[in-house]
Amino acid sequence: MITPGTPAPDFRLTDHFGRSVSLAQFRGTCNVLLLFYPLDWTPT
Amino acid sequence: MEALLDRFRAAGTQVLGASVDSVYCHANWASSLGGISFPLLADFQPKGAAAQSLGLYLADKGITDRATVLIDREGIVRYAHSVGPGGRRDIAALAAECERIGGPVLPGPGTVAGTLFVKSKCGPSRAARLAVDNLHLAATITVRNVNDDPAARADLAGHGKDQAPCLVVGTKALYESAEIIGELARRTAPLPG
Repeated sequence: MITPGTPAPDFRLTDHFGRSVSLAQFRGTCNVLLLFYPLDWTPT
Repeated sequence: MEALLDRFRAAGTQVLGASVDSVYCHANWASSLGGISFPLLADFQPKGAAAQSLGLYLADKGITDRATVLIDREGIVRYAHSVGPGGRRDIAALAAECERIGGPVLPGPGTVAGTLFVKSKCGPSRAARLAVDNLHLAATITVRNVNDDPAARADLAGHGKDQAPCLVVGTKALYESAEIIGELARRTAPLPG
């Protein structure tokens, strides 16, 4: 797992509203809390 | 999670969910939970690529770990923790973690009022309807099915075209599901940055 203190690698993915979302777009604006989970239909 | 979004906004934090599922699967699942308005990202093609870049992809199982990564405004990882695929996250503890970093408060959800005309057994109509559920717009967006309701069909035709789905907001009518969903999300759950 990525180590705290290191830069997060950027990615660009599509969300469930069809928007293209990148990590870089939030740079300088806000923190990002990334919640990864195994599969839909399991608890978040 | 959805119930604590205000607390994360107040801590200057955008919440993003992610798994290897498709956007269609995400929209259906989120709606079944009563609606999820923060982005659920499809780490779908190539499968798990974003998770892999963070060291969270479980290649032998073809899924991502149940793991949380908090990234600050400078793009630096401040917190990374896994509870394992079957574990449970402590969302309140994560909110406290975000509050420790803090930042300018993010805007709350916006509003939009109008009518969504849908058809039965129509994928694009269903997709638009799921967005209404996920963005918690049932109180302000009236959904009318033109197959069940002749008056709705007549009203739809009155807006120009006998085509559904169709979102009418004020004098504007949108007919493509991607445009409809994009418009609803832009007005009510805009992304910062």
